[in-house]
Amino acid sequence: MTAFTAILVDGYRELVAKKLFTLSMILSLLVVAVIGVGGLNEQGVTIFGFTIEVPFVNSNTFTPADFYKLMFNSVGVKFWLGWLACLLALVSSAGMFPEMVSSGVVENMLSRPIPRWRLYIYKFTAGLLFTSLQMAVFCLASFLVIGLRGGAWEPGLFLAIPLVTLLYSYLFAMSALLGTVTRSAIAALLLTILFWGFLFTLNSAEFLVNGFRIGSVKECEAIQALMAKRQKENPEVDVSDLDSELERNHSTLSNLELWHRVVFAMKTVFPKTDETTSLLQRWTLEASNMNDEGGDDAEEVPAPAQKPRRRGGPDFGNGRAKTRDVNLALEADQRSRGVGWILGTSVAFEIATLGLGCWLFARRDF
Amino acid sequence: MVSQNQNVISLECVSKVYGGNTHALREVSLKVGAGEIFGLLGPNGAGKSTLVKVLLTVVKPSVARGEMLGQPIGDKKTLARVGYLPEQHRLAPYLTARQAVEFVAALSGVDRATRKKRAAELLERVGLSKWMDRRVNVFSKGMRQRAGLAAALVNDPQIIFLDEPTDGVDPVGRVEIRDLLIQMRREGRTVFLNSHLLGEAEQVCDRVAILVQGRVVKQGSMADLQKEGSRQELTVRWGAASARPLPFRGINIEPTVNVDGSHQYVFSDLDTAAAQPALDAARAMGGEIISLIPMRQRLEELFMKIVVDPTTGKAPPPGAGS
Repeated sequence: MTAFTAILVDGYRELVAKKLFTLSMILSLLVVAVIGVGGLNEQGVTIFGFTIEVPFVNSNTFTPADFYKLMFNSVGVKFWLGWLACLLALVSSAGMFPEMVSSGVVENMLSRPIPRWRLYIYKFTAGLLFTSLQMAVFCLASFLVIGLRGGAWEPGLFLAIPLVTLLYSYLFAMSALLGTVTRSAIAALLLTILFWGFLFTLNSAEFLVNGFRIGSVKECEAIQALMAKRQKENPEVDVSDLDSELERNHSTLSNLELWHRVVFAMKTVFPKTDETTSLLQRWTLEASNMNDEGGDDAEEVPAPAQKPRRRGGPDFGNGRAKTRDVNLALEADQRSRGVGWILGTSVAFEIATLGLGCWLFARRDF
Repeated sequence: MVSQNQNVISLECVSKVYGGNTHALREVSLKVGAGEIFGLLGPNGAGKSTLVKVLLTVVKPSVARGEMLGQPIGDKKTLARVGYLPEQHRLAPYLTARQAVEFVAALSGVDRATRKKRAAELLERVGLSKWMDRRVNVFSKGMRQRAGLAAALVNDPQIIFLDEPTDGVDPVGRVEIRDLLIQMRREGRTVFLNSHLLGEAEQVCDRVAILVQGRVVKQGSMADLQKEGSRQELTVRWGAASARPLPFRGINIEPTVNVDGSHQYVFSDLDTAAAQPALDAARAMGGEIISLIPMRQRLEELFMKIVVDPTTGKAPPPGAGS
């Protein structure tokens, strides 16, 4: 415990000594300040007394509390913490492991009565301080802004601390492994960013293929419904055109299902960065009754364009199926992926990465 | 605590092979007694640092039979009783000297109160009392070395490994470090000194081992090693050239001629009785005895004898070889 505390304190001192950490903290507070100075009136969004007219974001469609929570999620968590702050944290901590394994330093660490794997894990934990401290400051400031400006005190916002730290930990585990292997901060950073890019691509690919797959399912359903409707109206009617259309769609669907299985299997193995941050959005927005999911009665569901969607993207309704139905089905499919699957498989990958790092660190000569 | 006369390090066979064919250490076998200053000497690349790193678990040995402080080599818990100053060590530049020493203490499992107390005491002892709360990035090489020494001692070790401790330190600092080593010995600690500075080792070491290309080629007490090549040098000035038989009667030793014309005879024995017949003979033949000096073999001479190939007159190339 003494050694663990010492490495944590050392990690904190190392971060504080870096200007990037302070800069990142200041930027975090600036982001909260930007969220805080925004407001709503009947026309749209107000900033410093100026009104930007936004038809669907105004005081008639959002309560102040929901508006600030939405800003917290979409600007604060998704954009700032999920991307830029994570990138700054990676830049700032990319040198931690290469420095630890460098000549003149590693000897002092390894010649102590601590197993190597523990040193690795302790150092890794210290590396997570950057994000967790930044998140703590960001969440506290956001909590105050949403409370004071929006009138809602949402302790659920603090869920962002473990969630974003977890998201960062997927990437930092890879950075630690690469830093240990290459002994170079630049190489570790660049390769980790490349890995992140790969995760983003994989995630986007799965989203697209899944979207087209669901679009295709809905298309088949729409064709079948149309066939049934025509046959009901006139049992003698010729539906061979619909039949062949249905056959083509089934063929497309079976291809898409195969591809989706492949991409989904790959995605299952790797960390789900986007879905991890989306969990926060899911939990905080649902908690505040800002659920943008469709209800049972489709007529009561506003068109997706009139509600902030969980993500932008292509139109998967490509024919007879309604775009709204496809989007809702896709949304439902995404949400059907449980927390256990999202976090469990991501953490499993992280544990495997850490395990590999520990193993390499433990058996290497320095 | 291990009592005097007991071996705190006893290696039977330690080997390290890199990549299947580069032998850094070849069946190293040596013993280090409690409370002594032991010098591991050798040319660059002989494997000195590798051996220390094997003992301190920084390098995994290919074979390691032996014990340190009564435990098998590689036992992590034993390292709580061991201090280490690595060669060209680097303390974290963002830490003050005090923080750096306390950090090392914490890694060794020293409790908070003790490490705070010992860090201050040791930094004072190595002459950094006024600098202990300054960041080490403003320190000179010598000051960093002193801070490193304090860090190596902070867990109150029974054995302290010092790898080139005076590297980059000025002459005054070297004397101070030497005094510190002697003080450590007085405190009952065992000092394992890795050095290629033979003069330095000669002044403080009780026992030494010489490592060449990964092999221990010589080891023993400093007194025994010096005795091996000990001699007496008799210098005689002859009155007239005719009075000088070469070699003079009864003494079958070829002299060397000094620049002042005197002749020097070297007796490979420290016992002065061996030189007495020569003295008598020289006097009887009209020679003037200038001096009879007992000469102990210097470590550097011994080292050169061992390291330099007598046929080529060259030292082995750096590296342990394959």
